[in-house]
Amino acid sequence: MSELIQHLLTPLQYDYMLRAIWVSALVGGTCGFLSSFVTLKGWSLMGDALSHAVVPGVAIAYILGLPFALGAFIAGLLAAGTMAFVKTKSRIREDATIGVVFTSFFALGLLLISLNRTSVDLKTILYGNILGIADIDIKQVVAISAVTLIVLVLKWKDLMLFCFDANQARTLGLRTEALHIVLLSLLAATAVAALQAVGACLVVAMLVTPGATAYLLTDRFGRMLWISSAMGVFSSIVGAYASYYLNGSTGGCIVTLQTLIFLAAFIFAPKHGIIASKRRAGATLKSES
Amino acid sequence: MSELFELLHFEFMRDALLVGLVVATVCAVLSCFLVLKGWSLMGDAVSHAVLPGIVLAYIAGIPVAIGAFFAGLFCAVSTGFIKQNSRVKEDTVMGVVFTGLFAFGLVLFSQTNSDMHLDHILIGNILGITTSQFWQALGLGGFVLLVTLILRRDLLLICFDPAQARVMALPEKFLTYLLLSLLSLAIVASLQAVGIILVVAMLVTPGSIAHLWTDRFDRMVLIAVASSTGSTVAGIFISYHLDADPGACIVLTQASVFLWSLLFAPKYGILRQGRKSEA
Repeated sequence: MSELIQHLLTPLQYDYMLRAIWVSALVGGTCGFLSSFVTLKGWSLMGDALSHAVVPGVAIAYILGLPFALGAFIAGLLAAGTMAFVKTKSRIREDATIGVVFTSFFALGLLLISLNRTSVDLKTILYGNILGIADIDIKQVVAISAVTLIVLVLKWKDLMLFCFDANQARTLGLRTEALHIVLLSLLAATAVAALQAVGACLVVAMLVTPGATAYLLTDRFGRMLWISSAMGVFSSIVGAYASYYLNGSTGGCIVTLQTLIFLAAFIFAPKHGIIASKRRAGATLKSES
Repeated sequence: MSELFELLHFEFMRDALLVGLVVATVCAVLSCFLVLKGWSLMGDAVSHAVLPGIVLAYIAGIPVAIGAFFAGLFCAVSTGFIKQNSRVKEDTVMGVVFTGLFAFGLVLFSQTNSDMHLDHILIGNILGITTSQFWQALGLGGFVLLVTLILRRDLLLICFDPAQARVMALPEKFLTYLLLSLLSLAIVASLQAVGIILVVAMLVTPGSIAHLWTDRFDRMVLIAVASSTGSTVAGIFISYHLDADPGACIVLTQASVFLWSLLFAPKYGILRQGRKSEA
């Protein structure tokens, strides 16, 4: 028994593991909080696009020796601006526009990296590098998360209204354009932080899966925020911890766990799960007959 | 001039150009359907979802193309199932499912001792293509192209006007799944050339370019294929001379063609539209 406990505590004896666990928990919580808004607004593709579009910014920042968060944030906003421009100015559908723009940005990043192999590590960008994260990068992640959480806590009611029904929000006198830009900026900023933790391909999971799971579990937005944040924190801690035993891919472990939780909610959720709705359908049939 | 073409002396360059041309053609033809149907995200999702299929097939010792194909199809089918049985929006479900599969693939991969390079799967390795991969890309690409061209009228109706297709008693479900299967196969064929992340560009950009030039579908396919193959050849040449990543160069060349079309395309370009409204 004591051997088992010893075995289970091994990862916690390493500084780098403890650091990976608390940084991913922070990133997971922030992304989870935001993900409720993202799912409600239907911006999943946007999250995916921004997480790829920040790559050239990261590359340029590393090449010039600037903080990566700055470059990534600017690249993300630039991509969002380009998408909005192409969408309003042409007949191309929104989803195709997003596809064209984010792949172009990603390709630019890839080109820059392939021309400067020494200063940027492609693997960090593709898979994240939470186990070997540098102190300066941790500071940036903490700063991003703090700003995001403060803005969300202060403005969550306005943003909620904007996500539910932009027209209604406008009638109530909210400045919807400003809210749109705020939400987009937060999305770009958290995408940058999550890039460090799970890598470019899996950022979108951190920004979508907790929100989608919470949406299956409750009808009240306030509760949804709690559930999605808690799920982000929990899955990040357990995922990072488990990756010690699975010997690799922290991002893969975190996101696989999130998907499993989503599937459990999809099947067993008390009201909106598949079992509950089948039972309800059966009950209606019986009462009708 | 001869310096510009010196790359043709290398066999791996000739192979790369040939595979690039086939992949570009197949993806361009499919991209016209995807852009019109609004399935760009589907291309993104399926391309990521093939990863666990590749790893599982490798473990089981069967051709990775088979595993990739079924994983891609599984992603599309399970997305449809979850969407129908829950209240979560389709794009969100797709995001959850494809990242879940991709993450599972990453975890599986880290548990397998293999000589596969994950980077090559993610960003392609067109210059290091092996003989079997070469023939696989050519065979799969040719097959997808053939089926798409034979059934193009039916597929077009499914994309444009599902109601009309139903009236004409077309097997709607079958054709939708056929299009999904063709998409999966095209992605499998393209993986080696451009990788998971940039295959989305091959599947979206050419159709978008052509959509800016014409309203007629036949012409749209021709323009998409021309811009895609042209960009691929130019991209490979550029990457050789810059010593840069070929996938990135191909996609960036395509992006410049898109930008140029966005501004100057005769009918739907921004500048032309402006001039029309002035007149």
